[in-house]
Amino acid sequence: MMTLNNVQLQTSPLRLETVTKRFGAVVAVERVSLEIPRGAFTTLLGPSGCGKTTLLRIIAGFYEPDEGHIFLDDKQIDDVPTHLRGTAMVFQDYALWPHMTVYDNIAYGLRMNKTPQNELDARVHATMQLVEMPADFLKRRPTELSGGQQQRVALARALIVRPRVLLLDEPLSNLDAKVRQRLRLEIRSLQRRIGITTIYVTHDQEEALSMSDVVVVMNQGAVVQVGKPEEIYRQPGTAFVAEFMGVSNVLRGKVTQDGKMVDAGGICIAYTGAPGSAVTVVFKADEAEPIGDGARADDAVVFEGDVIEAFFFGAMYRHFVNVNGNTILVDRPTRIEAKRVRLAVARDKVQVFVEE
Amino acid sequence: MRRISREPSVVITLAILVGLMFAFIIYPQVQVVLVPGLGGYVSFLAEQTWVKPFFNSLQVMLLSTTTAVVLGFIYAYAMVYSKMPFKPFFRIIGVLPLLSPPFVVAASYILLFGPRGMISYYVFGQSPNILGLGGLWGVQTIAFFPFAYQLIADVLARSDARMEQAARNLGAGPWNVFRTITLPMARPGLLAAILTTAIYIVEDFGNPALIAGQFTVLPTQAYGLISGFGDVTGAAVVSTILLLLALALYVAKTRIEGQRSYVTISGRAGTIPRPPVPTVVNVFCFVACSLLAILILMVYGVLLVSAVVEVFPVKWGLTSKHFEFLTSNITPLQNTLVYGTIAAIICAMFAMLLGFLVQRREWRGKRIVDFIAIMPAAIPGIFFGIGYATAFNQRWLDWIDRGALITISMIFWNIPVGYQAAIAGLQQIDRSLDDAATSLGAGSLRAFRDILLPMLDGALLTGFVTAFVRAVTTLSVVIFLFTPSTTVATIKIFQLVNDFMWGGATAFTVSVVGVAVLVLVIVWTISGRRVGLQRTG
Repeated sequence: MMTLNNVQLQTSPLRLETVTKRFGAVVAVERVSLEIPRGAFTTLLGPSGCGKTTLLRIIAGFYEPDEGHIFLDDKQIDDVPTHLRGTAMVFQDYALWPHMTVYDNIAYGLRMNKTPQNELDARVHATMQLVEMPADFLKRRPTELSGGQQQRVALARALIVRPRVLLLDEPLSNLDAKVRQRLRLEIRSLQRRIGITTIYVTHDQEEALSMSDVVVVMNQGAVVQVGKPEEIYRQPGTAFVAEFMGVSNVLRGKVTQDGKMVDAGGICIAYTGAPGSAVTVVFKADEAEPIGDGARADDAVVFEGDVIEAFFFGAMYRHFVNVNGNTILVDRPTRIEAKRVRLAVARDKVQVFVEE
Repeated sequence: MRRISREPSVVITLAILVGLMFAFIIYPQVQVVLVPGLGGYVSFLAEQTWVKPFFNSLQVMLLSTTTAVVLGFIYAYAMVYSKMPFKPFFRIIGVLPLLSPPFVVAASYILLFGPRGMISYYVFGQSPNILGLGGLWGVQTIAFFPFAYQLIADVLARSDARMEQAARNLGAGPWNVFRTITLPMARPGLLAAILTTAIYIVEDFGNPALIAGQFTVLPTQAYGLISGFGDVTGAAVVSTILLLLALALYVAKTRIEGQRSYVTISGRAGTIPRPPVPTVVNVFCFVACSLLAILILMVYGVLLVSAVVEVFPVKWGLTSKHFEFLTSNITPLQNTLVYGTIAAIICAMFAMLLGFLVQRREWRGKRIVDFIAIMPAAIPGIFFGIGYATAFNQRWLDWIDRGALITISMIFWNIPVGYQAAIAGLQQIDRSLDDAATSLGAGSLRAFRDILLPMLDGALLTGFVTAFVRAVTTLSVVIFLFTPSTTVATIKIFQLVNDFMWGGATAFTVSVVGVAVLVLVIVWTISGRRVGLQRTG
């Protein structure tokens, strides 16, 4: 039994098997197999167009996969229409119905399953409390609410039906930074409190890392890596993941003829591999340290460059350093004053991926 | 996009809709095309009686389309770009012709310029023969330039003012902006508008029937063959030729519309004002629009006056006798109202549901059904009417009430307007709104009812109003279907004009236009919004 943040991941309520979806000639989702852990907060992360939203919509039943199967609680649900799946969704633009009051919006799902009026009323009020909205908002129309309030109502509307899986499609992307920060915290703690299995789609790596139990990184329709946030961040499986997960330097390089080094634009890295094979070298901007001219650095990659520009970011300075024509980003808490700088990156912080 | 096979209720609904469309759109059309048989086609085409009307149709189409589009463009440009005064007045004047049967222009033309016309005879003492190409050209120009205006104004209004402001900002003068930005950006829309106007004109039956005289065009030839000689075969061939002509224009129009259009539909265009036009242009616009407005007011004014005086333009004494005649012959007007209302309601609902299934769901044969739903827009009314007559004037169908058949013809003749309003409305509503309902447990049809229908009330009303107006103003569709007890107002007017009973004819015309205006105003009042008419085609 694996434990992640005290959440038991014994069984999987939702399982995908080699799910593929094409739109004409475009393969939006390609042979995705996934197990979504029960009660956990799972994030589908990737750049726009990577297929994450399509995958979420397949789970919701808005799209039918061209190949593959979906299982919910070990029952194949490929043929179950959306409205019978129990996979309530929160949409990016909230999708609140403007012609209904907040009350009617939230109560909609319960009306669909013919919940008696007194129970319905009680649950609407309870759910409003859950999302920390005062009850006097119930009579208002969605258009009279702020973006953050609308998203709480959208969340309440989905939660009230007690879905087997809660789906969230970039729910915070239309909100301003402050509201977004607060709602991240609220959604996460709400999810933990009620222990609902949640799938969250975002393109924001910071959001994915901070909120998730499990991160699923996608690129070009395929799943590239699945893991805890820390794993994804610290041990990216591919150059793409490494590059996507943080401000990183990415360099193309080649293994030298003796097969013991990589030369990436004049930066030499100890590496054993097939001579002449193409590689991608990745290290994070905050892993490079300036070192003195004469200083020796063991087990480190050392190179020199000219500081072109330094931007002040508050907590740190981001330097743009020209190293043999490549621009290397170097984040440091203090400004590098020298024009020419010698930098070192610990060898174990530099990742080398063989290109396929 | 979701496939529908998982939801039996949706499959059944769709099957019913498609079945009805096959029965009432496809089947009658196929009947017309098949009725002559191969031999019928060969022998009729060999007689060559159709050649002259064919070229007459082409000739009047080219002439009238040109003039109607030029006038329509001026009117549209003035409404969208100029700063001329009294724009709301000009807007109402521009809508008026859409609310009346097009053939009222011919009627009014005869009253003004005919052998005993107010202007021709009583002012100039002339008794000209106005029947023929010249009169028809003028009448079609006046009758259809408001349609061209509506279509072109739509195109111009959608063009993005920011593009024009950007050109001004870079130093282009008003004329250069018009030449290099406005016109090129509007070109695809303009071409489509021109072709649509041409289709209206070539398909029109009422005006040539009243004023073309010996100058026979295809619709009047088809009518004449049936009413004069009972030659259904010949009429079917002629109207099939007309159909092919209209379809060619229609296909060309869809091709143009399918091309990359530079006109934005985002609706953001209104956020920045259009660059001002020079004063001289404003003055020109105002003068031109005033003249056109006077012309339209004359057309309707003459009808109104004729309806309340003894004998226009001979005896000017005020009288209510024409309206008394109308009230003692009220059945056609009642029929118009009843058939039109029922047809418009069913048509709007039918089209809305169909639009939902096409726009929001995935199923085999969707494109064909989409095509069938749009098809009646390209079908000449006379062809549609002959189709219903040949398909449903059968002894074994005698149990069908004629009023019901007329209503059905009005429903399916107007499907495209409701359907296009539905599709346009649905495109405005983000899919996530109905997806949200289905993800919360509502079936497809339930989500349609709870979410889309209330949000589409504008599109629904547009579909209803347009279908109603078109139903009560059509002549050619119903001219082969009526019986004495199911006569509608347009047919009554047509008969009265042919009998030179101008007083009664104009009283009926005024009433039909009045009913159309009244319905529009009632809908505006009840809904609290100014729904417009759906452009057809």
